[in-house]
Amino acid sequence: MSTRDLIMMAVRNLWKRKLRTFLTILGVVIGTTSIVVMISIGIGMNESFQKQVEEWGSLQVIDVYSNNGDMYISSDANANRGKPQKKAVLDAAAIDKFKQMEYVEAVSPIVRESMLLVCGKYVSNASFIGIDPAAMEALGYKVEEGRTLTAEDKEGIVVGRDVITSFYNPKLSWQMQMQAEAPEINVMEDKVIMTYDGNYGTKYANKSIKPIKTPVLGIMPDGGGNGYNVVMPLKQMEKIQKDKEAWKKKQGNTGSANQKKKGEYEQVAVKVSDLNKVQEVQQQIKDMGYQASSLTDQLNTMKETTKMLRIVLGAIGAVSLIVAAIGITNTMVMAIYERTREIGIMKVIGASLRDIKLLFLTEAAFIGFAGGVLGIITSFLMSLIVNLVATKQASEMTSSIPVWLYLSAVAFATVIGVLSGYLPAKRAMKLSALTAIKTE
Amino acid sequence: MGKSIIRIKDVTKFYRMGAETIAAVNGLSLSIKQGEVCCLFGKSGSGKSTLLNLIAGLEKPTSGQIIFNKKHIERMNEDQLAEFRQKYVGFVFQSYNLLPTLTAMENVTLPLIFRGVPVQERNERAMEMLKAVGLEGRANHKPSEMSGGQQQRVSIARAFINSPQVVFADEPTGNLDTKTTYEMMDLITGLAKKNHQTLVIVTHDMELSEYADRIVVMMDGKIERIDEQQQSGGEEV
Repeated sequence: MSTRDLIMMAVRNLWKRKLRTFLTILGVVIGTTSIVVMISIGIGMNESFQKQVEEWGSLQVIDVYSNNGDMYISSDANANRGKPQKKAVLDAAAIDKFKQMEYVEAVSPIVRESMLLVCGKYVSNASFIGIDPAAMEALGYKVEEGRTLTAEDKEGIVVGRDVITSFYNPKLSWQMQMQAEAPEINVMEDKVIMTYDGNYGTKYANKSIKPIKTPVLGIMPDGGGNGYNVVMPLKQMEKIQKDKEAWKKKQGNTGSANQKKKGEYEQVAVKVSDLNKVQEVQQQIKDMGYQASSLTDQLNTMKETTKMLRIVLGAIGAVSLIVAAIGITNTMVMAIYERTREIGIMKVIGASLRDIKLLFLTEAAFIGFAGGVLGIITSFLMSLIVNLVATKQASEMTSSIPVWLYLSAVAFATVIGVLSGYLPAKRAMKLSALTAIKTE
Repeated sequence: MGKSIIRIKDVTKFYRMGAETIAAVNGLSLSIKQGEVCCLFGKSGSGKSTLLNLIAGLEKPTSGQIIFNKKHIERMNEDQLAEFRQKYVGFVFQSYNLLPTLTAMENVTLPLIFRGVPVQERNERAMEMLKAVGLEGRANHKPSEMSGGQQQRVSIARAFINSPQVVFADEPTGNLDTKTTYEMMDLITGLAKKNHQTLVIVTHDMELSEYADRIVVMMDGKIERIDEQQQSGGEEV
């Protein structure tokens, strides 16, 4: 029996009992819809977590810290307990090694310095970060005005919005500062300087520290991870640090104990090209002896906390699909009682056992398939409603249905159909042709 | 007549009815020749229908052998029986046994569907068969829209469409009036004779046995006597 004939005959048999077929399919529709919507809410929650975490910075960036071999402070300290900690240094060679790793898109040292940004008589405290300017965009820094640094930039800064809104007049007492109106400063156009003199603009200002002029190339959005940061090319930062060291020496200061050796970095940022490989790369870096962390750690923790909720949601959906599966089995068993004679006739005129079995399986599969297809359509509508309600209530219970969920829902419903039809099909197969044909 | 196509050797079939055992067929041996019209005649309960079911492989004998073209039917499993029926056997029943949801045409093509014959070929063959039984104008009618005689014609067309070597007819005219009965018998024997096919008819109607080359008279699960007939009604068609 050809597949085409099989399907034609199956559809025809189902069509013959429209109402019952419809009701059985409806069961599958409800089952599919509930399971898809429940899963979609789980996915939606994860997506809103991801969005939330992404506001803090790129999920694809791993922060790598050097390991001095002394204190090992890490979340997975247990895993490394007992192992002798080898000293892992972040230098040019290490950066090259990271760059050659699979899935690594960009690598940049991160050099931090706390300084003041100065504009006219106003100053603002900021965390200054020196990075490889070519890697700025890849590392997930975003600008809302101007542009990010590029490989050609020798100097120039990109300022966080919060730095700009926190400009104050250092000459005023703090009470007066509180009452003072926020100054109107356009860093993109006004002249801006930087200084490592924390007392700049006050009477304690150190005249021997020369402020550094720099152009402003862009502004990063407020909030998130970079609102209070100022980013500049690594070379520019290193020059400032060199000046600072020189000045300190001149002042007779021998330098702090934790001073880094030349050409070594405390922190390196590694951008991974594929979000799904971040943990893998991070582990490889850890295995090399470094400390590494990324925002995916936080994300995974968040996902872990809602895992139970998602399992419960999925289980609720699964129960309704099981009920639907029993519905299919029931319908097909009923069909066998009604069609006993028909099955007998078919057997007598040459239908093989396989034909009979396939006919019933096809009918059951069709019920599953049709239910699955209608189910994903209603899931889509339900998902819209859930999201509408979620937006109104500012809830995190959003629903998101990826394509794979649609496809696997239809496939799953069809498989459920086939499984439910298996027992009835077996029964139909075993019917004695002679007894069946004598049934009235 | 040619060589025998079906050989039945010492076949018995017992039914258990509560504590009692009934011998529907009791130690029966018979040969049916290729191309003959053989009539199994007897009263109700004589075992004629059971014998037909045994030969057609619808039931398994309690003991004995049923050999069709050197193949042991009693040893076949369900799949082999399905194939056997598909290839070599056609059935005509008293109650027509058409599928009520299919049209005449579709009912006739059903055996070909199970054989996997392509649509166009099977429709052509079905149309030919419907013409042969005089129902070409009713191809798209459902069984419920046809008279008993017409339904039986459809079932005859279905029985012959596979060009089977043997056609079994179990009381084929039991539900028909006298006039239609003769039409039907002319038709069925005519078709069988034309293609030199073997026809086994079960009946309790003496009139029908006129059409047979051989009449096997049965009684209590045994053959009472076998009447050979010189002239067969079928050849007049």
